[in-house]
Amino acid sequence: MDDDSAWIQAAVLKFEGPLLRYARRFATDDARARDIVQDTFLQLCRQKRVRVEPRLAEWLFTVCRRRSIDVHKKEARMNALANGELVESAAPPASARIDRDENIASLLAALAGLPENQQEVLRLKFQDDFSYAEIARITGKSVNHVGVLIHNGIKTLRSALTGSESTNRIPL
Amino acid sequence: MPLERDDPKLTAYALGELDPSERAGVRDAIAGDRGLREQVEEIQAAARMLTQALAAEPRTEPGIELSEMLPLKASSARKPVAGLRKRLVIGGAVAAAACVFLAFALIPAPDLANHQARSREGVAALRGGEHVDGWEGYMKQQAERSAAEAEFGIDSNAMHSPAETGRANLGSLRESFRNTHPETRSYEAFEFAPVEQRIKQRRPIDGTVFEAENSGEAYASIRDNEFLSVKKAPLSTFSIDVDTAAYANIRRFLNEGTRPPKDAVRIEEMINYFPYEDPQPRGDDPFSINVEIAQCPWKLDHRLVRIGLKGKDIAWENVPPSNLVFLIDVSGSMDQPNKLPLVRSALRMLVEKLRDKDRVAIVVYAGSEGLALAPTPCSNKRAIIAAIESLTPGGSTNGSGGIQLAYDMARSAYIDGGNNRVILATDGDFNVGITDPQELTRLIEAKAKSGVFLSVLGFGMGNLKDATLEQLADKGNGNYSYIDTLSEARKVLVEQMAGTLATIAKDVKIQAEFNPARVKAYRLIGYENRLLRARDFNDDSKDAGEIGAGHTVTALYEVIPAGSSEEVGGVDPLKYQSNAKPQAAEAEEQAGVASRETLTVKLRFKPPAEATSKLIERGVVDAGKTYSEAAPNLQFAAAVAAFGMILRDSPHKGSASLEGVIELARAASQHDPGGHRKEFVELVEKARALGSH
Repeated sequence: MDDDSAWIQAAVLKFEGPLLRYARRFATDDARARDIVQDTFLQLCRQKRVRVEPRLAEWLFTVCRRRSIDVHKKEARMNALANGELVESAAPPASARIDRDENIASLLAALAGLPENQQEVLRLKFQDDFSYAEIARITGKSVNHVGVLIHNGIKTLRSALTGSESTNRIPL
Repeated sequence: MPLERDDPKLTAYALGELDPSERAGVRDAIAGDRGLREQVEEIQAAARMLTQALAAEPRTEPGIELSEMLPLKASSARKPVAGLRKRLVIGGAVAAAACVFLAFALIPAPDLANHQARSREGVAALRGGEHVDGWEGYMKQQAERSAAEAEFGIDSNAMHSPAETGRANLGSLRESFRNTHPETRSYEAFEFAPVEQRIKQRRPIDGTVFEAENSGEAYASIRDNEFLSVKKAPLSTFSIDVDTAAYANIRRFLNEGTRPPKDAVRIEEMINYFPYEDPQPRGDDPFSINVEIAQCPWKLDHRLVRIGLKGKDIAWENVPPSNLVFLIDVSGSMDQPNKLPLVRSALRMLVEKLRDKDRVAIVVYAGSEGLALAPTPCSNKRAIIAAIESLTPGGSTNGSGGIQLAYDMARSAYIDGGNNRVILATDGDFNVGITDPQELTRLIEAKAKSGVFLSVLGFGMGNLKDATLEQLADKGNGNYSYIDTLSEARKVLVEQMAGTLATIAKDVKIQAEFNPARVKAYRLIGYENRLLRARDFNDDSKDAGEIGAGHTVTALYEVIPAGSSEEVGGVDPLKYQSNAKPQAAEAEEQAGVASRETLTVKLRFKPPAEATSKLIERGVVDAGKTYSEAAPNLQFAAAVAAFGMILRDSPHKGSASLEGVIELARAASQHDPGGHRKEFVELVEKARALGSH
């Protein structure tokens, strides 16, 4: 029993931050994001550890996503996510720091300009380190679709990055 | 196989996402291509930068409650599973029951641990997910599920669990649980007040301020069709449409005292809401084509052409057997008198009319999930109605079910040569289990091709995703109707049911060719989002609208006669092509003049089970009728069109006014089955009362 309790604690420590970050993009404010993540860990308590542990991260994100969508399906944001429309990003977290590196700043800005569904998938890949297959399962999209979203997202970001330097590069 | 530069596979390779065999293939492909190799490197560089940037992103601070609460919950966590291993269908009941028991775990209770163990099975089954073949399979599993639920002690929690359907009433369970466990109320913190409680501004119809308060509704924007010069664009091509949702929706706005948003006004749907007195088709034709030309009431020197298609009436007993699956939104937002209760009444009315040879299944989504009623023949209406009565809104959404389940049910009870149809009833929330809209569209299209069509019924207000619902019905070869009252439900699901259920022609397209010797310019009224390219007319792979038994479809053209001095298009005279007519053009013009016809109407349609279209053509001569000489069909359609143009503040409304519309409509309302024309007049009067015009 203690073993399991420790395991849950460890999971919380490791994943609470990333889950909050993920949920925050769906939620309209911090408090709701926290509630969603809380729900997610509650669900975790009820799982058989052996079942969930091999794919813990993926499981957590999937459940978190479902709960987020569940909770916000009545709000307009759901529309944007479902339709992949261009929409303003969720209000940035309170403590936004301006990064010194120019490239990183413009990259993040370009990222924020991408359609919501591309953003979600890119973050899952490059921020939360999931594979295409895992992302497909979490978001309920096909693997091919995930591949296309990532491909298009990177393409746009690359052109934002290289900008005027791209004269002697292969045209996109 | 050559690898394109813009191939997602390249990105996947760059990110290490391909399996070994694919990876080898790409490696070979880029071996000889420096450009591709550089691509890969750039992608990887971008990936590294992105990873770096995202790692540096600021985060939300975690709440203290989380870390403090969890040790408590963890300590009451489960013991190893004993015995019970039942394979359970994806079903909201079990999963939700599992969640409820889990919530009970907040208060450690030794005898609940056992329940928890079993309920975990439910959640696991949910995640596993299986589809089932045949309704015998489902019946078997329902029986198993009922047995399992009995073990879970669901009955002891004061839940209503009808044995036949094996599905629990989650709404009341949730409610009673919330009352006894106030700490769980935070979960409901997100549910906000229903739309009706938001303040809706009432705005006068005075042409200056439009649009009801936008509370989550979504309409595709429409630009009115312009006048087109016959010489430049002699062909007008479009798909027919029998959706009627726009009229009911507009009625809802006006009854509330608000002007409808312009983009909610689809004039063709308003005109087609009403039955017209067109003659039945003769012989084998599935429909009759009736064309009439008369003076245009809002521009007296223009002509108005009405094209009316009348689908063959089929006596209800002779309509082929129907296999219907109702896919019903039971999300919390449906918990309003004009939504789920109205859905129930509407479905009851429909079921009353069905015959022994028809069958009905019910699938719910977005509140609870799963099968509320397996496909049941209508010889057993009692069971069907019992299932309808037990539909309740609320519950938590988990997993998938929804539309895939509905199609599986339809497939399992498929009737060859019958009407197989999923009927979606929603207030706009369609978390039907597929979140990707392209995937959803593909599924619906594929199912329509395989013979299971989709119709959509919209309910309620404020959350209506009008544009999307229309599109889904389109792809599903079905209709989209908006139901706001019991009488509308009766109209759609009882009066016009034969038409709704029995398609007599599909992919119906119209192409009109105008004679330049008679017509200078023309304008199609409405159908803006149904237009096709001229070459699509003969292209059988292009999807178009369907006609049901007894349906009428009306299209109106406003025509500027040849010889008019009216300017069309505002385009400068051509510089490189002169007005002087060369020989060939003269000869053409003679041919044009020789025909007294104003236009030729061509129609392509496919019999419901076939893939090749048939063609009907009709040339039409203008008999020079004045407006008062025209048949009531044309007069009433014109009145409705005028009303639509006023609501849209169309630049083409000419001298149309609300008083004028009322007068015209009244005069054309002798034949009024169902009293819909009378209601129209009342509606226009409401509009007039809302503002000066």
